[in-house]
Amino acid sequence: MRLLSALLIIFLSACSIQQDEAALVKPVCDLSYSRYQATVTGYCQEVAADIPESVAVINKQITIKPLKDIPDVFWFNKKMKYSLIKQETTAPLIFIIAGTGASYESAKMLSLQKSFYQQGYHVISLSSPTFANFIVNSTNTTYMPGDLAHDAEDLYHVMNLVWAQVQAQDGVEASSFSITGYSLGGAHSAFIALLDEEQQAFNFEKVLLINPPVSLYNSVTILDKYFDLRANRQAAVAMFDEIIERFSYQYSMQESSTFDQGSIFSLFKNANLTEAELKLLIGASFRMSSSDMIFALDASFNTGAITYKHHVIDKFESLTHSMQRASDVTFGDYFDRAMLPRAQRQDPTTTKADLIYRYSLHAIEDYLKTSKKIYLVTNQDDIILKAGEVEYLQSIFAERGKIFPRGGHCGNIDRVSFVEHLQTIFSRGVN
Amino acid sequence: MLKVFNQFIVLLCCFLMIACSAVPQLESNAIAPIVQLPDNHEDLGVMSAYTDPWEGFNRRMYYFNAKADEYVILPVVTGYQKITPDVVQRSINNFFSNLDEISTFINSLLQFKLSVAGETLARFTLNSTVGLAGLFDVATQIGFAEQNEDFGQTLGYWGVDAGPYLVLPLLGPSSLRDATGLVFDNLVFQQAVDELGLDTDEELLMSVIDGIDARASLPFRYYASGSAFEYEHLKLLYKKYREIQVAR
Repeated sequence: MRLLSALLIIFLSACSIQQDEAALVKPVCDLSYSRYQATVTGYCQEVAADIPESVAVINKQITIKPLKDIPDVFWFNKKMKYSLIKQETTAPLIFIIAGTGASYESAKMLSLQKSFYQQGYHVISLSSPTFANFIVNSTNTTYMPGDLAHDAEDLYHVMNLVWAQVQAQDGVEASSFSITGYSLGGAHSAFIALLDEEQQAFNFEKVLLINPPVSLYNSVTILDKYFDLRANRQAAVAMFDEIIERFSYQYSMQESSTFDQGSIFSLFKNANLTEAELKLLIGASFRMSSSDMIFALDASFNTGAITYKHHVIDKFESLTHSMQRASDVTFGDYFDRAMLPRAQRQDPTTTKADLIYRYSLHAIEDYLKTSKKIYLVTNQDDIILKAGEVEYLQSIFAERGKIFPRGGHCGNIDRVSFVEHLQTIFSRGVN
Repeated sequence: MLKVFNQFIVLLCCFLMIACSAVPQLESNAIAPIVQLPDNHEDLGVMSAYTDPWEGFNRRMYYFNAKADEYVILPVVTGYQKITPDVVQRSINNFFSNLDEISTFINSLLQFKLSVAGETLARFTLNSTVGLAGLFDVATQIGFAEQNEDFGQTLGYWGVDAGPYLVLPLLGPSSLRDATGLVFDNLVFQQAVDELGLDTDEELLMSVIDGIDARASLPFRYYASGSAFEYEHLKLLYKKYREIQVAR
């Protein structure tokens, strides 16, 4: 069954496989580097950072809205889930926001949690507003997730409730607050920081954006192209089968039938995926996240995109047809057919160009330029950035921005130079 | 005993299977989803590669398993992990893995995989003697890799089709063929246990520990993915994974 879980990891996450540092057979892998490989397997060519193997995570849940309002098909998602890692005494506290479609306990979140705990922070981890558990528990029934300013309001509301809960239930005492997030969560952090300037519930000391998109629209357009079922469905499907074929062949060649970190790397090495194949894996995993998101939205908002409208889904009902329908829906479709109409319902004059601007860091550019508490860390070869966007980030953040030459999208979050950089940012000014 | 009981449940479930349905019971005002399914079902590739004729039953069983796991099994496993030192846990795990080698050995012979059989035999001999009745896995350390062959794979090797997907009570994803194979492997396991000369109570205790150990070594948590499509994903993975294993 360990095999099954290993396979789960390969197929279900296009993100890093850096699960268990202790099980690492070789400190570095000998895969040939590309930004896509780093995004899929992690930037394993660099040595892993020395972060704790495990920390005492308290898994928490909180009621945000009445349980009876949550659709039955999400019986396993009643109450919003998050986690707390607590220091023994009064300490600074950091909120971490997950990336698109990711939960508070995704692999990248776990790495970040350990790093910040190691640096003496209380750590509260929240799922992305695009994650099903967040969607079905959110009180928001007006805006579609991805609408950064409104997501920020939603998250801010949750953060206040969660902070009250950990004070009451776990006796957490915070000396100051910071916030960070990777990918979409990075963009969220920036919008939350801006909101907090006004509301002042936390008065963040530091804000760190990790591999954020500059423009949501540009980033999802790139990712949509990696898994293009519309232009040539047969080719994409055939390529997917081919990848699985190659992995199973390599597995059959392997002497032992067990899996560990080392054998997964060697499987990847021997499977020798082409750039197009790596992109397909990334795109497919992204599509899986968006399928989950769209289903949760459909169930909560009764939008009827991939489910029957006005139909209460039974908890034993087959959802296969919905999954199959969702596989076809790109983020572009979601933007055009869900986000735009919703925004126009509020204000009929809103255009697509308005939204593209609003859902980007450009919208809060002045704040990002002038606020000294905001930091950025990303990679020169991050796949979600369009040509010119790295330079844009550099110009906005200047000396508060750090751009690593390699790592793809979030591939280096648990690598030594990245974690060392976190320490430099967060040791400055923290007692 | 416990295993025989399990097998009885499997049979009972087979009868119940016909009774449940997973087809949506649509309200009169329900409107069909906006996004269409592709005309050609084959266009869905791996996503429609495996039919699920017993889906109604399977989904109910999946739900039951998730609940049983949350309220009964995981609390027991957590308690076990708390009171048992890591070294002891590892030894218990090694002990049961060692007993499983017998069935791996037989099944690799049945598939003419002589090198696998040889390696497994060497492992079993070493671990049963030097490894003190299997408590220590010395074989892996000196380079004899652990193999995995079961009767489901043997049947697959001989051309038996996997048959419909089947979610077993407590055990989770399986197929008609693999569930049948499980009965055979359990008989082998039972034979091995009989050799130990335990009485009924001790055997029952051993089955329980075996079960707890098996669950403890499996990191899977129901709905940790948070996805409403977890049932679909797991079905797909299981079917694909078994194909890969049989082809190996």
